[in-house]
Amino acid sequence: MNNHPGTLSRREVLCRIGGGFGALALTSVFADAGFLSAAPSAAAANPLAPKPPHFTPRARRLIFLFMNGGPSHVDTFDPKPALARHAGQPLPERVRAASGRPNNGRLMPSPFRARRFGQSGIELTEIYPEVGRCIDDICVLRSMYTDNPNHEPGLLLMNTGNMQPIRPSMGSWLTYALGSDNQNLPGYVVLCPGRPVVGPQLWSNSFLPGIYQGTHINNRSIDPRTIIRDVNNRYLPPAAQRGQLDLLQQMNQLHLERRGRDEQLEARIASLEMAFRMQAEAQETFDIGRESAATRRLYGDGEFANACLLARRLAERGVRVVQIYYGNGQPWDDHGDISNHRNHAQRSDRPIAALLRDLKARGLLDDTLVVWGGEFGRTPTSQGARGRDHHSLGFSMWLAGGGVRGGLAYGATDEFGYSAVENRIHVHDLHATLLHLLGLDHERLTYRYSGRDFRLTDVHGRVVRDILA
Amino acid sequence: MARRWYPALCLCAGWLLSLTSRAAADPPRAGADFFEKSVRPVLAAHCFECHGARKQRGGLRLDSRAALLTGGDSGPAAVPGKPEQSLLIKAVHYKAEPKMPPDAPLRPEQVAALAAWVKQGALWPATTAEVRPAPKGPGFRITPKDRAFWSFQPVADPPVPAVQDWAWPRTSVDHFILARLEAAKLRPVEAADRRTLIRRAAFDLTGLPPTPEDVEAFVGDESPDAFAKVVDRLLASPHYGERWARHWLDVARYGEDQAHTFQARKYPQGFRYRDWLVRAFNEDMPYDRFVTEQLAADLLDGPGRVERLPALGFFALGPVYYGDPKKLDQIDDRIDTLTRGFLGLTVACARCHDHKFDPISTKDYYALAGVFASTDYHEVSLEPGKEGQPLTPAPKGKAPKGKKAAPTGPFIHALKEMARPANMRVHVRGSASTLGEEAPRRFMPILAGDDPPPFTHGSGRLEMARAIVTKDNPLTARVMVNRAWQHLFGKGLVRTPSNFGALGERPTHPELLDHLATRFVASGWSLKRLLRDIVLSATYQLSSRAEPGSQAADPENKLLWRANRRRLEVEAWRDAQLAVAGNLDRTLGGPSADLAAPDYRRRTLYGTVSRHELNPLLRLFDFPDPNITSGERTVTTVPLQQLFVLNSEFMVRNAKALAARLNAAAGDDAGRIRHAFLLLYGRPGTERELQLGLAFLASGETPANRGALTRWEQYAQVLLSTNEFLYVD
Repeated sequence: MNNHPGTLSRREVLCRIGGGFGALALTSVFADAGFLSAAPSAAAANPLAPKPPHFTPRARRLIFLFMNGGPSHVDTFDPKPALARHAGQPLPERVRAASGRPNNGRLMPSPFRARRFGQSGIELTEIYPEVGRCIDDICVLRSMYTDNPNHEPGLLLMNTGNMQPIRPSMGSWLTYALGSDNQNLPGYVVLCPGRPVVGPQLWSNSFLPGIYQGTHINNRSIDPRTIIRDVNNRYLPPAAQRGQLDLLQQMNQLHLERRGRDEQLEARIASLEMAFRMQAEAQETFDIGRESAATRRLYGDGEFANACLLARRLAERGVRVVQIYYGNGQPWDDHGDISNHRNHAQRSDRPIAALLRDLKARGLLDDTLVVWGGEFGRTPTSQGARGRDHHSLGFSMWLAGGGVRGGLAYGATDEFGYSAVENRIHVHDLHATLLHLLGLDHERLTYRYSGRDFRLTDVHGRVVRDILA
Repeated sequence: MARRWYPALCLCAGWLLSLTSRAAADPPRAGADFFEKSVRPVLAAHCFECHGARKQRGGLRLDSRAALLTGGDSGPAAVPGKPEQSLLIKAVHYKAEPKMPPDAPLRPEQVAALAAWVKQGALWPATTAEVRPAPKGPGFRITPKDRAFWSFQPVADPPVPAVQDWAWPRTSVDHFILARLEAAKLRPVEAADRRTLIRRAAFDLTGLPPTPEDVEAFVGDESPDAFAKVVDRLLASPHYGERWARHWLDVARYGEDQAHTFQARKYPQGFRYRDWLVRAFNEDMPYDRFVTEQLAADLLDGPGRVERLPALGFFALGPVYYGDPKKLDQIDDRIDTLTRGFLGLTVACARCHDHKFDPISTKDYYALAGVFASTDYHEVSLEPGKEGQPLTPAPKGKAPKGKKAAPTGPFIHALKEMARPANMRVHVRGSASTLGEEAPRRFMPILAGDDPPPFTHGSGRLEMARAIVTKDNPLTARVMVNRAWQHLFGKGLVRTPSNFGALGERPTHPELLDHLATRFVASGWSLKRLLRDIVLSATYQLSSRAEPGSQAADPENKLLWRANRRRLEVEAWRDAQLAVAGNLDRTLGGPSADLAAPDYRRRTLYGTVSRHELNPLLRLFDFPDPNITSGERTVTTVPLQQLFVLNSEFMVRNAKALAARLNAAAGDDAGRIRHAFLLLYGRPGTERELQLGLAFLASGETPANRGALTRWEQYAQVLLSTNEFLYVD
């Protein structure tokens, strides 16, 4: 409830509703109806309007680069020389016993060489050289662990904080808590060329209002006219559609006048205008052809490169959460031959580095939080001749940007990369930390449903303060 | 593998109360050094976060000797002098559940220090004030205060209140409403005009708009029972059952697959449950029977067994979960849906601990869980000659390796009793590895009285159903009456329709709720009688006009001084478009189909409902998540919805059909526009609206590009897109 409608200027009112309407017919519609006094309530009724966080945030938006399928930590961000020294041997009993999990495999060295990068000298494998050159902006988390080494529960836990498909996703929680800074675009965008395993439950709003669900965009094709459902009118040119919408709004206005003020009717009138504007803005946003040749070169080619470039364009325009799935299905799931990781890295190395550099160059990295990782890691022991199996006891992720200490490798697995042993970070702890960086106390971000208050972190989670800048 | 000791699923406040006191005795000094050097730091670094002043996981604190000896849910944490009998020491040894600390074992020397300390008597030198744990009660007990809570009181039959304005009420409902309004010095607004009223009633009772002929007949009917005739006709329409079945499907979290895909159980013939519901509502099946068949149709005697079995879909079509070998999450869904759906109680809160706010114990939870653990999913054939028999698996060799063959013939997704029904034991803190006392299968004492008898027949499902529909159950009738009220007024008399507990809202009109519940039961649990009673009231027939004075005094319209303006649910809005465009296929029942198919012209009710990937139109317009029971829909208004309105194929198809229909309806544009207003809005257009339409049709040209909409088609799309078409007054 807004009790001070008189304190907002006309311009503020219009900005709050839709980021400014310009000289559209609606402005006169509002004026005719004495709508200005009613407008703040319509704005208050807009559930995606920006909302203040609990405390000063370090980041205003999140870009989550999701390496679905489960990237191997010992072949990327947690190299283990001991694997070469003990190649072909079983996992030492003390390491296995400490983990409480059976393992019959033989230790297998990484096919990739380890290299030190940056001033910080953090070691990663050779397959991520461009990311390596950004390492001083990156905080590697080497002590991640999760509850289940299977894709579905792993993906669900990482995205929703629960292994069953019955909870809202983190992106939904964030847009519920913070709204979005751009009312002409969805507040939570999920990019995937195709679809990850599990699918829509990974960006589900669950019991949160439907508006907070992620908008899934299949970026296999990046035709701006079709990338968002129904964003383009195939039947009328914009001017003709504007004329049609003017008639609709006049009829809505007459309907409203006969009834007096009504927030929901006014909100829909405003929402129709936003949608009209979204057609143009969304099509502009998703048109990466508008980028300079130099920028396009920086990111390189391919679906993942396009998605990274789109993520920057979305972040720039105030979209709260962008999640990029690396590929359709579970591409990082290299059971057969771990050296396939080289191909995934090749497709993602340059785009990721470009995204970090581009955000930095535009001054956006300071308040944009970038996250890299998958649903779990992979075993340091072999599966078959050259592959690795799923592994939940220890794996790596990394963070960069908004409020994170760059050039830091935090936590550690044991000498074989089997279990996280030092400064362990559970998925709930990661969620608590990400929320913290976005200005939210994970214990205060609740939603009353079914007679109780729910949280992203349930009754768990601890902010990893050591990694805060 | 759960890393946590107990998968506590809810957050509840109110458990942080604690008392402080001084330590009772000073331990010897020698022990004190050892304690401060080797014991306290370990406890502080690894235990206090979860078992300290701020949190008490498992009801346990480890920050004082008294707390240690009192222990938590699993009993004392330490027995002085006997480390081998001390839970704390067992836990840090990390050999069996519970393993503590949960993240990683302590170092061996730390474990040794703790064990040595307990062996020496677990002495705790006093430094500063110590915290004593809150005194633990003698277990769970229902107090007189619990029983006095409004929703657990027997349903009363309160006298119909007197009112000053005796001329206004039409039915007893109105006395209850008006008495409250008069007490608040408010007056109801005027009655809605007939055109508004019939549109409201038609959508409320059938989910479809009235035809222009229906409207004009009602407007021209001067008999005193004109509206009653309309209501009786609507209640007799087969579309009534479709409308009210969909309301119930929200509660039943109806879906035809699973959210997960890996080896997921699908429900390709789940539509038989939906069709059973439509029939049950159309035949006005008594609500007590309606409940009983959904819970235990397989256990009822009497003819018509095969026709009855689809009712079991309420549970047989429920979600099952990946990685849930003991079906604990599945059982939790069943309890949640059962108790919120029929009773307005959040019993699932008691999975890990006694309900923090309502008098429901974990034992009550596991008593019901035992019923579901003793019940199995079951498929029943409908093949001619094999009706009612268990479905036989497809012959060997037909199924792909490792996969169960999908049945091909007609069959029912049903339930059956397990061969050996069994009680469950309480899972302490919700953990399957910490079993407490046995919980005999029985109904909850807060509803069934102290020491309810255990169920003795099979799983107890039928006895459970009977305990729900017994006239002594104070909740069942109230909850259903409230759902009916909510669907007619937009908000229930209790505004948390699936939570009548302490954290739910209190009824705005408790006497009216009881009055209706009493009549509902007395009428033989007839929903149609109930709806008729309510709809014929003056209250239901009020205008939705906002009177400024009343608006200021009661902005939420809790006292019902006017009707609430409501947005149509996505089903009614889509169906209404098809209806006015002349595109609606009104066939009843049958298999579900993809709503997104371009030529799909049946009611939205018949669209496939997927838990894995909900149809985008449904998702966009606030259809509830079919993974969880839903008592009330959220209403959001967002631009992505309006993109559908402005640009979708569905809108364009209906606009074209509507334009063609209007073209045939009159000889000139003015006549067509007049007809359009009657067809879509049930009222004549105003002169201004006519002129706006004529001006639009006369101006501009049809764009030249292929497939472009004609002026009339553009106009028809506008008519379908208006607020007036989307909202009901």
